[in-house]
Amino acid sequence: MPHFDELYGRKVTYRRLMGLGIFSALVLMIPVFMRDFYLLEVLFLCHYYAILACSWDLLTGYTGNVNFGHAFFVGGAGFTGALLNLHLNWQPWITLPVGGLVAALFGLVVGSFTLRLKGPYFAGVTFCFAALLYKLVMGASQVLGGEEGLFGICGLADTSLGNYYFSAILMLATVFFLYFLSRSPFGLILRSIGENETACESSGINTTFYKVTAFVISAFFAGVAGGMYCHAQMHVGPELAHDSLSGLILMMAVVGGMGSITGPILGAYLLTGLNESLRFMGELRLLIYSGIVVLVVLFAPKGLIDIIGKAKVLAGIRMGWKINRHEAKLKAYD
Amino acid sequence: MSKFFGGVRAVSGFDLEVSRGEMVGIIGPNGAGKTTLFNLITGFIRPTSGEIWFNGHQITGLRPFQIANRGISRTFQLVDLFKGMTVLENCMVPCYSKRGKSRIDKGKKPWEVALEYLEEVGLAGRAKELAGNLPFGELRLLDIARAMATEPEVLLLDEPFSGLDEDNALMLAAAVRRMHRRGQTMVIIEHRLRDLLQLVERVVAIVFGEKIAEGSASGIMNDPKVMSAYLGERGA
Repeated sequence: MPHFDELYGRKVTYRRLMGLGIFSALVLMIPVFMRDFYLLEVLFLCHYYAILACSWDLLTGYTGNVNFGHAFFVGGAGFTGALLNLHLNWQPWITLPVGGLVAALFGLVVGSFTLRLKGPYFAGVTFCFAALLYKLVMGASQVLGGEEGLFGICGLADTSLGNYYFSAILMLATVFFLYFLSRSPFGLILRSIGENETACESSGINTTFYKVTAFVISAFFAGVAGGMYCHAQMHVGPELAHDSLSGLILMMAVVGGMGSITGPILGAYLLTGLNESLRFMGELRLLIYSGIVVLVVLFAPKGLIDIIGKAKVLAGIRMGWKINRHEAKLKAYD
Repeated sequence: MSKFFGGVRAVSGFDLEVSRGEMVGIIGPNGAGKTTLFNLITGFIRPTSGEIWFNGHQITGLRPFQIANRGISRTFQLVDLFKGMTVLENCMVPCYSKRGKSRIDKGKKPWEVALEYLEEVGLAGRAKELAGNLPFGELRLLDIARAMATEPEVLLLDEPFSGLDEDNALMLAAAVRRMHRRGQTMVIIEHRLRDLLQLVERVVAIVFGEKIAEGSASGIMNDPKVMSAYLGERGA
């Protein structure tokens, strides 16, 4: 069945690898042409938010179960890594994966109890867990530093360039993994859960297992990103567990385009860049930033990645390419 | 088996046996408890009392996916599909269930397996279409193909002819007959008695959650209780 090989088999894998390969080359080559310290710091933030937004998208974007507490994993892993570094002198190459595993374990416990329920319970519980962690950090000032957080954590790399490449490689590894996972049978099942969980269960699929697995993977990557951020800043504070971080991640995924993995990357780069470029506006910055986000959501409710996909189809049709509209819709998943 | 929703008796003391390879019809007026019966069998709701046995094992209380993997699959009265996914993907999803995986494990690609089920119902040519773009009759066929993709021992069809015009009804009836000739055990709920009685061997009538009559397809409509249920006391 060669025509289905183009949709699900080897040929589509090569096409996707090419797209991701070009993106990876661009990311890795940027410092060759631009060595500005400030730009590297901003791009570090873009990579950090891209990991958070993509990992969030794996569960929420595909299954529709909204996670309002992604900051719980970011902050939880960040503080775990910081404590291990400060008290046991563990280095980032250990604290990052350990932080990720701790976050994944919490994801397993929280998800196992709440993801088997239908309705808004999962969203509510995730919000509460993040809020609990924030209160704990603020309250346990002796151990967790309170409002000021913990200082003196060892750095990630010796230079901004080192931090940039560390974040770039971690981001690319995350994106590659999540992208191919989302296009695999696992991703197909997640999509079907998001479409119609009842039909999915009646088709013999253990939907709770898939949702919990997606949540654990999502938590792991968020935890690793949190640890990376803390080591790069050499500081961890309560803002890492604040619900505003969860809200920002959600906004990035929505603006970029949920349920695609590539959409949240676009959202992360765009909103981080926009936030930085509007700094000179002072108090107007928040107003303009919020206004732009609202406009994008109003005129591109499926995200900017959907607009780009439709533009590609229209451009193809105008150039006389024989594109079947339905195939074009399928290609938008690529 | 019984099911009560508060004070409302949806199914009461219902008892049904289905043999391998049989095609049984279930009829009854609206609100009789027919779909509730299917929901009880497939685990979407739990009985208030009673047990459900399948192939010598009790399946009462199991979750829907567990019952589907035991070999009971169903379609829904209001077509329940993955409308944002392609026709082919709709049939690929069940292929990844514990029961459906056996065919993939033997070396076949998932889309090849899914395509076979689509060919069974005449939808192979629509494989790349989005399910949401299909006309209603083809959605019903796709729902059957999706249910078949779990390789069930028993297939429960909930009002498959509902909303179909004459041509689509004939197409569906032909597909159902083909599956039955291959030995598929089926239980069909249907209001369109003319379409149902031409297919099934035995019919069970249910009113207010209770079985009121059971008999052959040709004789059931002459049963006074069935006539009374459909036409009122004077009609009987």
